[in-house]
Amino acid sequence: MRRRSTHHDDQAEVNMTPMLDIVFILLIFFIVTATFLSEEGIDMRPPPPSDEPPSEDQNEVILVQIDHENNIFVNQVRTDVDRVLSAVNRFRAEAANSAVLVEVQDEASHGIVVQIWDEMSANGVPVSLQRSDGNES
Amino acid sequence: MSRRGSRVSTGDEEIELNMTPMLDVVFILLIFFIVTSVFIKEPGVTINRPDAITEEDRNPSMLIGVSSDNEIWVNRRVYEMVQLRGVIEQLLQENPKGRAMIQGDEGAEIGTILDIQDLLIQMDVEVIISTLQD
Repeated sequence: MRRRSTHHDDQAEVNMTPMLDIVFILLIFFIVTATFLSEEGIDMRPPPPSDEPPSEDQNEVILVQIDHENNIFVNQVRTDVDRVLSAVNRFRAEAANSAVLVEVQDEASHGIVVQIWDEMSANGVPVSLQRSDGNES
Repeated sequence: MSRRGSRVSTGDEEIELNMTPMLDVVFILLIFFIVTSVFIKEPGVTINRPDAITEEDRNPSMLIGVSSDNEIWVNRRVYEMVQLRGVIEQLLQENPKGRAMIQGDEGAEIGTILDIQDLLIQMDVEVIISTLQD
């Protein structure tokens, strides 16, 4: 049936196979290069400045300082990297809900700051980062 | 070609698959992948990122690497802090809603990373610090 009536059409039909080859190659290229990149990271941005004055019942702040030689001081007491959390927890036992302010000198290493930041936020301690002016200690 | 159509393969023609629907599907897939593909420019330097457990999943479109000797790498080139604004503006033109990720080495100085972060915040770019899964 088809053969007889559409004989002329058959002759005129475009051969799609080469185009299909190209389209497939393009498809494979885009599939391979599509990096659904989803990297992991932490958000260390400071909170947006608010116009409201700090509330009266604000809790004490635990000061964690990291100096240019990566020495860590929790409320002026020198501590080890691994013991920052326990030191902070000790202060928090006295004044619950107090936040941690990490004050870093510019030369402190990134790894230590991230580690402390991570430890704090993993344990639900509110933490913020501040750069020190570098004139202290 | 002409031989095939006329006489020899009369039987073949009857079994020939209709490829049009498949072609439609393939084209739609192709367009999907073209549209969604974001070509990310890697910093091009090995960075020993710090571990973290509280990390979140993000899909950044801009990667800024800071190596252990505080060199700033973007798209396989080292830049100075003062050049960085222009470079980021260029990247933003390609992808205006782009989010940035700073890949800082464990040994990099936090000052450099905070400088970059401040710059990105100033430019209204969302920025996070890259970490590795613990």
